[in-house]
Amino acid sequence: MMDLDSKGKGILFEFYAAYYPPVYSKLKARSLKELVEGIKKADKYSLFYHIFHPIFSSHLIPEEYSNDFAHWIAESLGDKELAELVSDISGSEPRTVEDVRKDLIEILEPRANDTIGLSEFVFVSCRPIIYKTNYVARSLAEFLDLIQTIPARSLVWHFVAKRVLGITRRNDFSEWLETNFGLTEVAEALSRIDPQTYVNEEILRKDIIKILERMLLK
Amino acid sequence: MIEKYEKYIGEHELDSIFKIAEKIKDLSILHVNSTKAGGGVAEILNRMVPLMKELGLNVDWKVIKGDNEFFNVTKSFHNALQNGVGNINEEHFKIYDKWQEINLTEIPLDYDIMFIHDPQPAGLIRFRKGGKWIWRCHIDISNPYPPVWNFLRKYISQYDSMIVSVPSFGRDDIEIPQFIIPPSIDPLSVKNRKIPQTTVSRILYKFGIDESKPLVTQVSRFDYAKDPLGVIQAYKLAKRHVDIQLLYVGSPATDDPEGEKVYNEVVKAAGDDKDIHLLMLPPYSDLEINAFQTASTVVMQKSIKEGFGLTVSEAMWKKKPVIGGNTGGIPLQVINGVTGFLVNSPQGASHYIIYLIRNEKIRKRLGKNAREHVRRNFLITRELRDYLMTIAYVSNRHQ
Repeated sequence: MMDLDSKGKGILFEFYAAYYPPVYSKLKARSLKELVEGIKKADKYSLFYHIFHPIFSSHLIPEEYSNDFAHWIAESLGDKELAELVSDISGSEPRTVEDVRKDLIEILEPRANDTIGLSEFVFVSCRPIIYKTNYVARSLAEFLDLIQTIPARSLVWHFVAKRVLGITRRNDFSEWLETNFGLTEVAEALSRIDPQTYVNEEILRKDIIKILERMLLK
Repeated sequence: MIEKYEKYIGEHELDSIFKIAEKIKDLSILHVNSTKAGGGVAEILNRMVPLMKELGLNVDWKVIKGDNEFFNVTKSFHNALQNGVGNINEEHFKIYDKWQEINLTEIPLDYDIMFIHDPQPAGLIRFRKGGKWIWRCHIDISNPYPPVWNFLRKYISQYDSMIVSVPSFGRDDIEIPQFIIPPSIDPLSVKNRKIPQTTVSRILYKFGIDESKPLVTQVSRFDYAKDPLGVIQAYKLAKRHVDIQLLYVGSPATDDPEGEKVYNEVVKAAGDDKDIHLLMLPPYSDLEINAFQTASTVVMQKSIKEGFGLTVSEAMWKKKPVIGGNTGGIPLQVINGVTGFLVNSPQGASHYIIYLIRNEKIRKRLGKNAREHVRRNFLITRELRDYLMTIAYVSNRHQ
C-alpha cells in the first residue's frame, strides 16, 4: 500500500499558472504553400499557440480538429483527409514544438500548392504571462487532492506548456513524482499522455487523475 | 463590485485577475482618451477604471481637450483610417499636433504606464517623459488612408506596445509588439443583464411588435457596411417559407450624412410589409436593445464590413443563434455551425433563417454554445485581464 502522506525528499510542488495573450506575428497564409512557409518562419510561441493552445476549450475551434492548422485546412481548403493527418500529429514527450514543426513540414510540404483557400490563415504568436497560485503540494495525498482542484491553466502550464516550449524536458508532474518519491512507473505513465490530441482541458485533467488513482491507490 | 463577476467566470478566473494585478501593483497607470461619455471607448473605461481601482491598482483616467476644429480633424482621421479614403491636407496635421501640445497642460505624462486609446491622443508621445506607453487601437486599421496612417505611424512606432482588436487589424509596417485584445461586453450592464419577461413584453408592446410571431432582429446603424438592404432581402426570401417578423434597430448618427440616404432606401425596400419594423432609437436605448435581443428568435449581423461587431456577443450572451457576415470580428464570435452561422449573401442568410426558425433544438444548442463562448472569451473581465497582462509585459513583469 502506498504511503500517501509521505513527503518524499521534502521537495514542495508549487503550482504556477499561465495565460498566453496573443500577439500579431505578421505571418499570413492563403494557400498550403504559404502555410508551410509560415510554419517554417513562425516563432515557437506561435506554433505553441496554434498547436497546443486549443487544449483550452475557450479557444476558437470546433472540437473535431485538435489544432488550428488542421481546422484551417479542413474549413478553408476543404481537404479533410489532410486535416485529419495534421490533427493527429504527435505532441507526446519528449517532443517540443520544434519536433512538431518538423512533422508538419514533412506532412505538408509534399502536398503544398498555390490553391487559394476561402479565408486567410493569420499566424498568431503569444507571450506567456505566468503567475503563482495559492496551491502547494507537500505529499502525494495533497498532490492527488490538488490535481482535481487547481486551475486548468496551472495543469496545462506544468503538464504541457513548459515541456513543449522547451523550458523542461518532461512534464513537471512526472519530474516531481520521480525525483521526490522515486515513482518512476507513475511518472512514465503520465509522460505517455499526448496533450496534442486534447481539445478540452478538463478531459486531460480526468485522464491524468485516472492514471494517478490507478497507480497510487492500488 | 468585481466579486459580482464570479458567478459568471468562476473563482479561478477571478483569482487569476487578482494575481496578475499583484504583479503591477506598484505602478501608476493613466488611461487617456478623447471623451468621458458616448461611444464604446468611454463605455468600457467607465467600467474598466473602477474595476482596476478595486484590484488595488493606482489608476487614473484623463480626457484630452480640443475645439470643434480639432475634433473635426480627428473625426476625418477616424474615417480615413477605417475606410481607406480621405481628404486630408497639411493643415489638418498641424491642427492635430497643435492640440497635442495644448493638452500638455491637461494630461500629466509622468505615470509609469501611459495607456492611450485611439488616434486622438496618440501624438502625446512626442512629449514622453519616461514610463511605458501602450497604444490601444479600437478601430479597424487594416486598410487605412496612407497619408493619415503614415502621419500617425511615426508616433505609434515610438510606443512600447500596441493593441488591436482582431488579428487581421495587425500592421506589418510597425515593429513594436501588437497584442490582440478583442473588445468585450459587461454582463452587469443594462444592455446585457437579465431583465424580467414583463419588461420585455411591455417594450415589444410599445413598439408594436407581435410577441407571438418569431422575430428576426438586426441591431446596427443604417449603413451600407451593415447591409440593411441585404437583411431585407434575406427576410423576404425567408418569409416565403416561414411566417416571421423582421426588426431592424438603428440610431441616428449625426456624424454620418449617408445614414439618412440608407434609411430611405431601406424604407423603400421594406415597402408596406407590416411585419417589418424599422426603428430609429436614440443612443443609450440599452434597455430597449436588451428587450429586443432577448425577445428575438434569431439575431442577424449581416455586415459586409465590420470592426468587431459587439452586438453579436450581446445577442449570443442572451443565448441567441446569430447569422453573421463573414467579416471583421464576426468570425471570432460566430463559429460556423457551433454558435451560429456565417454567411456571404442574402440567400445564405435566408437559408439559415428558415433552418433556425424551423429547428428549435438547433436554436437551443447554438444558443447554449453561444453564451458559453461569450462567457469564456468576450466578457469585460477577460479584457481587464488582457490589459493587466499587457502592462505586465511592457514593464517586464510577465515571468
